Amino acid sequence: MLRSARKVDVVVVGSGAAGSVVAAINAEAGREVLILEAGPKRTLTDLVSSQIHARKLKWSGAFVEEQGDLKIGHNFNSGYGTGGSALHHFAVWPRLHENDFTVHSEYGKGLDWPISYQTLRPYYDRIQDDVGVSGDALAEKWRPQGKAYPLPPLPVFAQGKVIAKGFERLGMHTAPIPMGIKSQAYKGRSACLYDGWCDAGCPIGALANPLVTYLPRAMKAGAYIQHNATVASVLHNSKGDKAIGVAYHDANGDLQTVYAKHVVLSAFAVQNARILLNSASDKHPAGLANHNDMLGRYLMTHPAQTVFGLMEQETQPHLGPTGGQLICHDYYQNKQQADDAFGSYQWLIASAAKPNDLLGIVNSRPDIYGKALDPFMRKAAKHFALMNLVGEDVARADNRVSLSAQKDSHGLPLAATTHNLLPETWSMLKRGVEQGKAVFKAAGAEEIWAGNPFGMHIMGGTVMGADSKQSVTDEFGRTHSLENLYVAGPGVFPSSGAVNPTFTIHALALRTAEQMLRDG
Amino acid sequence: MEKAVSSRRAFLQASSVGLACAVAAPTAWLSPAQAYAKRLPYTQLTDTEVETLEQLADAIVPGARKAGIAHYIDSQLAAPLDDCLLMIKYLGVPAPYKEFYQAALQSAHQLPLSEYQKPWHELSDSQLDTLTAQLASGAIDGWQGPPPGFFFFVLRADASDVVYGTQNGHETIGFPHMAHIKPVQEW
Repeated sequence: MLRSARKVDVVVVGSGAAGSVVAAINAEAGREVLILEAGPKRTLTDLVSSQIHARKLKWSGAFVEEQGDLKIGHNFNSGYGTGGSALHHFAVWPRLHENDFTVHSEYGKGLDWPISYQTLRPYYDRIQDDVGVSGDALAEKWRPQGKAYPLPPLPVFAQGKVIAKGFERLGMHTAPIPMGIKSQAYKGRSACLYDGWCDAGCPIGALANPLVTYLPRAMKAGAYIQHNATVASVLHNSKGDKAIGVAYHDANGDLQTVYAKHVVLSAFAVQNARILLNSASDKHPAGLANHNDMLGRYLMTHPAQTVFGLMEQETQPHLGPTGGQLICHDYYQNKQQADDAFGSYQWLIASAAKPNDLLGIVNSRPDIYGKALDPFMRKAAKHFALMNLVGEDVARADNRVSLSAQKDSHGLPLAATTHNLLPETWSMLKRGVEQGKAVFKAAGAEEIWAGNPFGMHIMGGTVMGADSKQSVTDEFGRTHSLENLYVAGPGVFPSSGAVNPTFTIHALALRTAEQMLRDG
Repeated sequence: MEKAVSSRRAFLQASSVGLACAVAAPTAWLSPAQAYAKRLPYTQLTDTEVETLEQLADAIVPGARKAGIAHYIDSQLAAPLDDCLLMIKYLGVPAPYKEFYQAALQSAHQLPLSEYQKPWHELSDSQLDTLTAQLASGAIDGWQGPPPGFFFFVLRADASDVVYGTQNGHETIGFPHMAHIKPVQEW
């Protein structure tokens, strides 16, 4: 139980992947931890198997303005409520590659990380053992060094087998996707049923969402979570060198204050930056942790595009995880595949599909309607196949979160985001999609088409770095300006890589949390 | 493995049905199709808007009218933003969404009147096809409100929700639903 509602050791803003890890580690060390979650309380029984109901899990907080030639898709990529975005995440858990950490020094693009892969490697290893990751490390011939997975890979169903033939015929390699989904019972949690409802939130405990991983640990150790608590600003001392707590709006809209020895912002990339910008004071007129105008900059999203097909064979597209069954990183290591194209990319192959929703079968072909629609849906229900290209973004200072002139219901400026891709990133995407179509052709697809490019995941805005003039936080997520103010989550990524970020978010958050204990 | 998975799935579904019955009020959980069949009143949309919506949605996704497209959108426009289930929620449109639908439906209502001097329900099949294609292409002169092509995309998605997104809709096209927790409503 929380001993005091007004003063705690650690206040954690956000209950998602990063916040839940930080809360658990601090609470288990005996610290009094309060988690403030902007959204409502959610439990496993709320995770109804429906793509319509699943929309409740998406962002419903203050509107985020978006501009640019590849918008970040904030409301689709962000969560709302217990577990944050990780509640609806697909649990595709590959590691970043070594050269993702040195993209500036090796290629002259974007930013380097202040740490190497080797620094993060033990944290990946520990998280995967804690959570239970399924995969085949040997089959991932591109995989950076690390412990083998604690669980065997998830099975490959008809869709995966059919598409894999296409890769094989083009001399490319696939491996089971490393997933934060149990292939077998593990640490008291049950195995996957392969029913493809990951996006609606997994109610059976097979998928590593915070409701079954770090939040129960945090609660067991005495952490307390307050829902419908939207943080407005971080408060600091009179000198302006230490955070002293946060101000937040409670469920009734009343402004409340909680004081804390340590403040952790883990409210996802955009809202973390917004909170810091909205925390401007006489000591920090441009916002907290923004002495160098770096706050909000280097906003990133993975440029992604889907290749679809109707196969001659039946594909059982309803089976398996939503994130896919197989992965290919053949075009990951060499980021400069052509003079005019830059960036790694991965293929996530054979995602379980649903008939409706943005990623559903029906919206893969928005050009089909009227009498032609039903025959298409009936055929696709048996023969549909897809795979997603997830590409690397390049961190650019002019891609950023700033404050809008518009305000939310509490009178606080909204976040305004701008995100544009470099021409060489567009070129990488275009080349990759052509490759994907060739794979489907080789797999024997009767019809092949590609969807529109979209932004998958959100990163940056509060990037970490070795140089305090060029970044917002240090390598542990501590802000350069206020020593007890931390940022956790994908906002601290200085580069995006081309892999799904949640595994890395966990590993970094564990490192941040343990540093917090050392910081006293 | 498949046998074990099937029996675990059956156990979970049985458990979740019990939950649904325990919380469901007698009329609060009607599906849009049931609400349509009972001709329940609308609270957000006018009769003219409902008429336009049903005609158009049924032309884009056949079966949308009977599946309760108008009741679905009407009920979701009445819901608080946190509970809203419409796909528009994550398409970059600021809430409240009622303005989006009403502005688009106003223009959609005028479309057949200005083209053929008659309402949607009096159009021939070929006239209906022509106007639907215009909407899909996004090229409509004098259209006010959200871009017509975007409105087409949103309405098509909404109609697909009620026609294909329900348990019944899945099964109709031969797509196994396989719920972990069955929704209380028929979707």
